[in-house]
This record gives sequence, C-alpha cells and structure tokens, in this order.
Amino acid sequence: MIMITGGAFQGKTEYMKKRFSYTDNEIADGRSCDISELAESRFITHYELAVKRMLSASIDPLVFTEKLDCEAIEMNEIGCGIIPLDKSEREWREITGRAGCIIAGKADEVVRVCCGIPTVIKGEKH
Amino acid sequence: MTTLITGGAKCGKSHLAEKLLDFFDGGKFYIATMRPFGEEAFASIKRHRRIRAGKGFKTIEKYMDLHEIDVQEKSAVLLECMANLCANEMFRNEEICDPTELIICGIKHLQNCAETLVIVTNNVGSDGIDYGDKTNKYIEVMGRLNALTAALSDNVVECVYGVPVVLKGKL
Repeated sequence: MIMITGGAFQGKTEYMKKRFSYTDNEIADGRSCDISELAESRFITHYELAVKRMLSASIDPLVFTEKLDCEAIEMNEIGCGIIPLDKSEREWREITGRAGCIIAGKADEVVRVCCGIPTVIKGEKH
Repeated sequence: MTTLITGGAKCGKSHLAEKLLDFFDGGKFYIATMRPFGEEAFASIKRHRRIRAGKGFKTIEKYMDLHEIDVQEKSAVLLECMANLCANEMFRNEEICDPTELIICGIKHLQNCAETLVIVTNNVGSDGIDYGDKTNKYIEVMGRLNALTAALSDNVVECVYGVPVVLKGKL
C-alpha cells in the first residue's frame, strides 16, 4: 500500500493519477462514496473525509482503517492548526491523525506532496 | 535562477530569502506586497524593514499587478509574499476572482527581468478547518499557485523552524 499525504490542494491527486493509471471506477472518493466501497477499492482519495463520515455513521474509523487494504490511498494532512473549539471537529482531527498513523505504519511507502513536489518520507526513493 | 521558499507562519522564510541574496553583487529589489493596514501590519512591516536595513535592498511597494513592475536587468528580486499578493488580488473587488493566471504572468515577467528571483510564500492548507466558501477558495488558489510557481522554480525550499528542507534543486 502506498500512502499519499500533504496539505490541501498541493497536488496529491494529480501525483496519484500520474503514478497509477487508474480508471474512475477503480477509485473511491472519501467525500462521497459508500463506506463499504472503501474496503473494496484499489484507490482511495480524501480518506480524511471518509473518517468524518464514519464518525457520524457510528462506524469506528480505527477498526475500519486497520482492515483497509488498497493499492494507494490519499489523505489530507489536517492536524497542523489550532485545536478546534468544536468537540466533533476535535474528535475528527484526532481520529484522522491516528488513522493516518495506522495507514502510514502499514504502507510500504509514504509520499508527502508540497507545492506539487512529492517527497518520499517512508520507503524506497524512486 | 528562481527559488521558492515556503513554510508556515514565522518559520524563518524571510531570513533565509534575504540570506540567499547576501552575496549578490548587482542591484537588489524587495517587492513588498503587504498592505499597511492596521496595527499588526504596521508592526510586521516595521520589523521586516529593521531586519532588512543595511542589506542594500531598494523597496518597491506593490500590492497587486506584478507585471507592471520595472526592475533593472541582471538584478536580484525578492518577492514577499505571495500569500498577501494573492489575497490582495482575489479580494480587490466585491466579487472574488481567481488571480492565478495574472500572478503567474507577473512571476514570469520578474523572471525575465531579474537574474535572481526569490519568492516567499506560505503553506495555508494543513489545518483541515472549514473556513467557509471565500477562505476555502483562497486556500485552494494558494495551493495551486504554489504548485505552479514551484514548477517554474529551479529550487524549492520548505522552512521548518528556520531549518531549510530542500524539496527541489539545491540551496
């Protein structure tokens, strides 16, 4: 599994598209797909928002994430600001952080994209 | 030669940008894009001026429309910073606009005139907060603008508490 992360709008999805030529039906978009689709897809984008939707659907995102097995997964880095005042935002941010650690821990390679530039922060350098 | 310096708030980007031009022989221009608006902006401008004093920069205050700037050939230009410039351009009228093309055009213009161009920008999309439509659009434009500028740059450096991390090229 390859994880692609970084801040919003840094070029993560563009990187993933370029590296893996996948078709639209091979990808699960965490913003809108059925949660069950995530478990079967080879490619996942916006996993941080899938985590948010799991929380509102009372699905444990960490248990779900442990079982996740895909080719590549993209998720935003969201934890670099101030702790949110809102409790549910706080919970989302924390659980997303932990889910990200689980994914990065399982991943053979982690790529962080900044300003459109990918840097391999875990695994083999290409 | 173009170098893009990115990073979070107050992480030593300006200091690094100025240091890169320490040994430059020719004319040095500093393009200041921050509008002097409010107490905090004044304090920030004052602080930057003090740090820059004696380093031989000629300051050009230009909050928008980079393509209109005249700098002499073979000079060094330090543009600070893209986050202010982008906000000034986007919110210049009541309707927000996408200034990406205009800014990229301005950067290419500066690249054509100057021998060395150093651009300071900001990473603004890493806190996951939903700020509402206008600010979310700003975060999106900044992300794209930074990626496009990085593609036009020879070197890209991310500053982390004053530590330069080279993402592209070299320092």
